Amino acid sequence: MHMALADRLTAILFLMLGLALLVGGYTMDRLEIRQIHPASIPGLVPMILGVLLSICAVLLYRSSYRPEERNAAPVFSGGSWGRLGITTVICTVYALGLVGWLPYFWATFVFAVCFTLIFSFPLDGERRTQLIAVAGALVLGVGVALGSSLLFQELFLVRLP
Amino acid sequence: MSGLGDLIAGLSSLLTPMMLFHAAWATLLGIVVGSLPGLTATMGVALMTTLTYSLDSTSAIFVLICMYVGAIYGGSRSAILLNIPGTPASAATSLDGYPLAKQGRAGYAMGLATAGSALGTIAGVLMLVLIAPPLAEAALNFGSFEFFWLAVFGILISGQLTADTTPLKGYIAGLLGLAVAMIGSEGIHAHVRFNLGVGDLNAGIALIPAMVGAFGFAEVLTAMWNKAGEVVAKKDKSDRTIPDLADLWRYKFTIARSGIIGTIVGIIPGVGEDIGAWASYATARKTSKEKEKFGHGSHEGLIAAETGNSAVVPGSLIPAITLAVPGSASSAVLIAALFIHGIRPGPLIMIEQPHFVGLISAMVLIATLFMAIYGLTLTKAFVQVLRVPYSYLMPVVFVLCVIGTYALSQRIFDIWIMVFFGLVGFVLRQMKYPMAPLVLGIILGDLLDKSLRRGLTLSDGDLAPFFTRPVSAAFVAVIVLSIAMNMPVVRRVTLAPFRWIGARLNA
Repeated sequence: MHMALADRLTAILFLMLGLALLVGGYTMDRLEIRQIHPASIPGLVPMILGVLLSICAVLLYRSSYRPEERNAAPVFSGGSWGRLGITTVICTVYALGLVGWLPYFWATFVFAVCFTLIFSFPLDGERRTQLIAVAGALVLGVGVALGSSLLFQELFLVRLP
Repeated sequence: MSGLGDLIAGLSSLLTPMMLFHAAWATLLGIVVGSLPGLTATMGVALMTTLTYSLDSTSAIFVLICMYVGAIYGGSRSAILLNIPGTPASAATSLDGYPLAKQGRAGYAMGLATAGSALGTIAGVLMLVLIAPPLAEAALNFGSFEFFWLAVFGILISGQLTADTTPLKGYIAGLLGLAVAMIGSEGIHAHVRFNLGVGDLNAGIALIPAMVGAFGFAEVLTAMWNKAGEVVAKKDKSDRTIPDLADLWRYKFTIARSGIIGTIVGIIPGVGEDIGAWASYATARKTSKEKEKFGHGSHEGLIAAETGNSAVVPGSLIPAITLAVPGSASSAVLIAALFIHGIRPGPLIMIEQPHFVGLISAMVLIATLFMAIYGLTLTKAFVQVLRVPYSYLMPVVFVLCVIGTYALSQRIFDIWIMVFFGLVGFVLRQMKYPMAPLVLGIILGDLLDKSLRRGLTLSDGDLAPFFTRPVSAAFVAVIVLSIAMNMPVVRRVTLAPFRWIGARLNA
């Protein structure tokens, strides 16, 4: 994807967000019942922000058609989609699923071991190298889970999820 | 007591074994965090904020300052050895640091970077103790009208100067930050805005989960997305880490100028260390007698970049302490940390805690001392740190992002916020939206909102005071000029006198 197309898509998104802010600010309770000064209504700044964001979105959309070098630049290139996808999935599953569902220690242990193994396990390596990778992941998993549990629970007196 | 007197008093109060112990480990950790590509100073300070809840306020702030100073310096290690800046602040360092490493003089490059960083921070500290007290005093006369324009100016200038491609993206990032700040109970009538029916949003979006997401999780994703660099292994037998004093003396004017430029860039809201380094580097190149060496291992270029980025650290603390307007993304987190620890930055700081500026300056100085010691002695150890694989490092970082965010209010909802900002932050970065204006928008949104509505209430809906009061008028002029400078014609006309003077001086 090129920057021009990415800018057009985000400009549409920002325009919708800007209009939502404007409408949200305009329809927001003006607290007449509390007899506040009309200039201090809570929706004032959201309305202004909505207008400004909409203007910026339109300008961004227009600028994406200019024949400039930055518009031809590729977006989301030069990296590994596979690594990004796996990292996103593992991290979100841990943060939004495992934490709170499993006890913190076990959630963290499972996450750290899986993360390390997925990115460092030598599939084509010798048996010894594979065993070292598994042992390394287990040591890291126990270390991170135990270390962070002790630090936050015992030292900072946090009730862990 | 004078600013320098407060600095000496601050130094004497911090020279206890426990405080020095905190400085020792926090600076070392900061250098490690900064030296690892993918981990930035802002992320280090944000994560460390979550790890210092239980410390007393002085120790906690001392730890955060040491982390900040160490991380900004630490970025030079990977910039020199990998040609990948450990933090964005060290991007200019790699231009001359990496060629020196390729010539087998990595040790000397690191020594020069250490000296430049230390001297830059000291220059910034001197300006911090001299500028902060009068600035706070002047800000006492600010009313709602001035604070409104200050917030607008901060977000606008940050958007303008930090945008990679077009200022428009910087402005949009700032507006998005302001929009985020509109969520939750507003500060005048306690009316809940945009909570989308979610009770957890009634209190708004806390800065720390948002920052940990935007700078922690987003950086984990960026690090895993990018390819890892390779450490330069070549070594010249004549290489050494201690810089030649004659070398430093030869560039004394470059050091002084870069220190001043860095501090001034630091004072400008939300601009940050990378711009400080680039501005210093560009100025040094322009005025150098050895222009041709820049980009090929110039000692002067390396010193200018490192002095410039390190001077931004104390510089960014000047508006952060006196106006509660952060000079960089890291100092935005520091402001949040100050509030957590019961210190209220802003114009009243010189009345409520008159010795605080001296104390925080002393903290920066001690952190600089430890930074210099580590920088000159632990060169080989830092090379080993750069070899730690991401598959082992990133799970640790992400676990800290999760548990650190949770520990703030012990709410699972904050973890959701962190993940959301991490994913959005990653996408925005890839599309060249700067993060600093976004953060500044979140932190200044409340000030902007309250100041505008309070000002309008005071003037009974009349807009005139926003434009006629002297300080407000000055802010308006600068803001209009900043926006107009995006137009080539205005830029050409405005800069013509400066170009003419420059040409006469060079002739």
